[in-house]
Amino acid sequence: MASKSATKDIITLRGSAAIVSEFFGYAANSILYNRGVYPEESFARVKKYGLPMLLTQDEGVKSFISNLTSQLSEWLEEGKLQRMVLVIMGKQTGEVFERWNFSIETDGEVVEKGISREKSDKEIMREIQAIMRQIASSITYLPCLEEPCVFDVLAYTDKDCAVPFTWIESDPKLIDNPQMVKLHSFDTKIHKVDTLVSYKNDEWDEP
Amino acid sequence: MIIRTPAPRKRRAESEPPEDDNNNNNNTQTPNSNRQQLLIYEDLQAPEYSHGHSTPTTSDQMLCTYQCRQMVKSEFFDALSSAEKQAHDYQSKFKALNEDFSKSESERKKFRDKCFNAEQELSAAKGREQNLQEQLRKEIDFSQEHLRKQIQSFSELEVKFQKEMDLRKKAELTAAKAEDKASVLEEKLSTVSESIVREKSRLQNELVQMRSESKLSLSRISADLEKMEFRAKNAEKESALLKEQLEENKRRMDEFMKEKYEMDKNVSVKSPEASSKDANLLVKHLQEELRNYESEVREARKIKAYHEDIELLKEKLYEEKRRRERAELDLVKLSDLQLNVNTLNDELSIWKSVVKEIPGVLSADDIPSKFAALQREVADSMRRAGEAQACMKEIQVALDTAMLDKQTAETEAALAKEKAESSEAEIKRLELMERDRLQNLVKELKERKNVEGGTELAGGTIVQELESSLAKKENYVRELENSLSEQKEINSRQHNEIKLLNERLTNEARRLKMLERDGDRLRSEISLLESKLGHGDFSSANTKVLRMVNTLAVDNEAKQTIEALQNELQKTKEQLQAVDELKKQSSDAGAHVDSYIAGKIKQLKEQIAKLEKREERYKTVFAERISVFRRACCELFGYKIVMDDHQRSDGIPVTRFTLNSIYALSDDEKLQFDYESGNTNIVVNEYTSQREISRQVDIFIRKMNSIPAFTANLTVESFNKRTLS
Repeated sequence: MASKSATKDIITLRGSAAIVSEFFGYAANSILYNRGVYPEESFARVKKYGLPMLLTQDEGVKSFISNLTSQLSEWLEEGKLQRMVLVIMGKQTGEVFERWNFSIETDGEVVEKGISREKSDKEIMREIQAIMRQIASSITYLPCLEEPCVFDVLAYTDKDCAVPFTWIESDPKLIDNPQMVKLHSFDTKIHKVDTLVSYKNDEWDEP
Repeated sequence: MIIRTPAPRKRRAESEPPEDDNNNNNNTQTPNSNRQQLLIYEDLQAPEYSHGHSTPTTSDQMLCTYQCRQMVKSEFFDALSSAEKQAHDYQSKFKALNEDFSKSESERKKFRDKCFNAEQELSAAKGREQNLQEQLRKEIDFSQEHLRKQIQSFSELEVKFQKEMDLRKKAELTAAKAEDKASVLEEKLSTVSESIVREKSRLQNELVQMRSESKLSLSRISADLEKMEFRAKNAEKESALLKEQLEENKRRMDEFMKEKYEMDKNVSVKSPEASSKDANLLVKHLQEELRNYESEVREARKIKAYHEDIELLKEKLYEEKRRRERAELDLVKLSDLQLNVNTLNDELSIWKSVVKEIPGVLSADDIPSKFAALQREVADSMRRAGEAQACMKEIQVALDTAMLDKQTAETEAALAKEKAESSEAEIKRLELMERDRLQNLVKELKERKNVEGGTELAGGTIVQELESSLAKKENYVRELENSLSEQKEINSRQHNEIKLLNERLTNEARRLKMLERDGDRLRSEISLLESKLGHGDFSSANTKVLRMVNTLAVDNEAKQTIEALQNELQKTKEQLQAVDELKKQSSDAGAHVDSYIAGKIKQLKEQIAKLEKREERYKTVFAERISVFRRACCELFGYKIVMDDHQRSDGIPVTRFTLNSIYALSDDEKLQFDYESGNTNIVVNEYTSQREISRQVDIFIRKMNSIPAFTANLTVESFNKRTLS
């Protein structure tokens, strides 16, 4: 991943893509656990980013997320990925309740020329840790999900990006008049990830 | 002792006073000459008495002495008169000198008054100068503080300005990026529109072709279906007839069995030879019936094969229906494409309207020039900002020079002060000197007056000295006035400079406020864009949204169904083997086989029905997977593959594969391969008989014996042609 030099850690494009895709995997698991999309007993505790993280043990969800992260890593290495959105919607109605938006800014120079950047691994971990803490604390202001929910993942890619046969084009699954909360961001000097959660207004909050 | 002066001495005495009158100026000499001329008469009688002689004095002696006395008296009177005259003269001179002295005193007083006035004026000037200096200092301090505050605020504003410039640069970069994106979008739009047009035409051609093909195949299949239906009906009728025959045969078999049993019984009662013949006859009869049954079973198998054919044809029908549905979907996609085209046109119109809203821009081509103009404006504003900075630096330099001037003015003022003080001291000293001199002169005059003084020359020198000192004082006063006027000029110049600097500062402050407003506007735009991003809006011209096919449930179900199907297949295979064994066994046994066969036939038919249902399910699932596989193959290798069974001229059935490249420019560009028992051969058609293609066929297929290399090379060439076009 990132090779350590005497003073700073060198980050390559592949390493940065791996960091971001791994982050997304853990973030998705954290969101699914905290929002109660899957039951608590189906999650197991592991240590990551200096925090106790919860990972699903459901084989289907595991394989889904692992396939997802591998494809994300490919797109990130090509510099074609603009955004990843984890959508939580009602199982029966299909109504979209929450959109966890991860915007990605890629340094085009690194993708074109294959150069590397320098940033401390610890610094990146600290930034990711802050985001994970914010995701965990989001239950304090996000409205309760009353009905059983399912999740889906949308990838915003460049128009000229080839579509793998396990992916299809989709609508963006937007929320009308959402509330938005901007979370922290982290930067590997090659990929900058901004996190934002938009959610449907709760009935009690509407004027 | 009397020194007798002869008559010439009288002459001398007479001549001397006119000489004295003429030589009034030589006052010092005449008293001495008079002294020389005045003799003291002393009567020397005592000495005579001392001798003790008493000699009678003669009258001559008496007369002589009287004459001498008279002469002496006259001389004395002359001398007195001359002395009186001299005294008068001296008095007059003294008076004149006194007058002169008084005049000089009055003049001195005047000059003193003038000096005092000059001193007062000096002190007033000093006071004014001090006031001016104080005012100057205050003004300078005030202006310094003001300047410092202005400089501080300017530095803060400079920092803000730099920040705003950075923001502006970032905004310019984003604008440039947006410009690039716009240009890229335009290019992509054009390419997309061209590709859409091409795809439209291709899809329409495909549609037409597929419609015709589907119609043909539908008609063929319907005809085949009808045939097969008729055959199936006939087969069913035959099977029904056979069943009836079977039943009759069974009945007959039962009857025969009964008869046989009776016959056996009878035979056991009758002779054994007759029974064996009957048994042989029966056996032969049974064997014939068995053969009949076997033939019926074969016919049933044929019917089953016909059923299978029917099912295959149904499947083909289904496939054709699916193709039709796909064609309809493609039509729908076409409509979606048209919708996309419409949305693209709407976006184009929006862009055009945006372009129209931009002042000074009439078309999309004007946008780069407008951007260039904006960039020029930005460059100008940067230049002006640089100039403003240069002005500020100049102002700072001017401030420093003003400070220096102030310091020099202060030093000059201090010097002027010192000069004034020194001039005052000098004046005082001069005054004292003058007083001393005058006092000395007065003393001398008095002494001279007492002695018969004349101090005209001293008074003249004193007056000259006074005049020279007065001239010096006047010069000092003039110099001080000049320095004061210079100071005033310097102060006025500094005032003007400060005013100019203040004006410039206000202008720069106004410019900075404008920049701050621009920065706020940009920040609000950024927040708007961020909110749009957060909402999930995106530009469909350069972004597409993908989602993964949800294989979470499908994979599991597919695996389960595949396992179940495999298990059922094995079971049916075992059952078929059992049926075959039973058939073999049934050829040996007679009646047991018939009933066994009937039961087995029933079971088999039930199983057949179940298997047929399973096969339908398998076929649907496999058809889906096959379609996914076909689509994947198409996307991975770049060729749409259509498989058909074909019969050659010599009657040998052959599988024909038709490959259409996705980068083909027309539908006529297709490759055909015949697959027969593991061998694949290319079929010559119009496309492959073209020069380039035939050359590639010779190289890759005939010489190198590699069809994948040929297809890959063709794919790359058609891709290059497509992208270049």
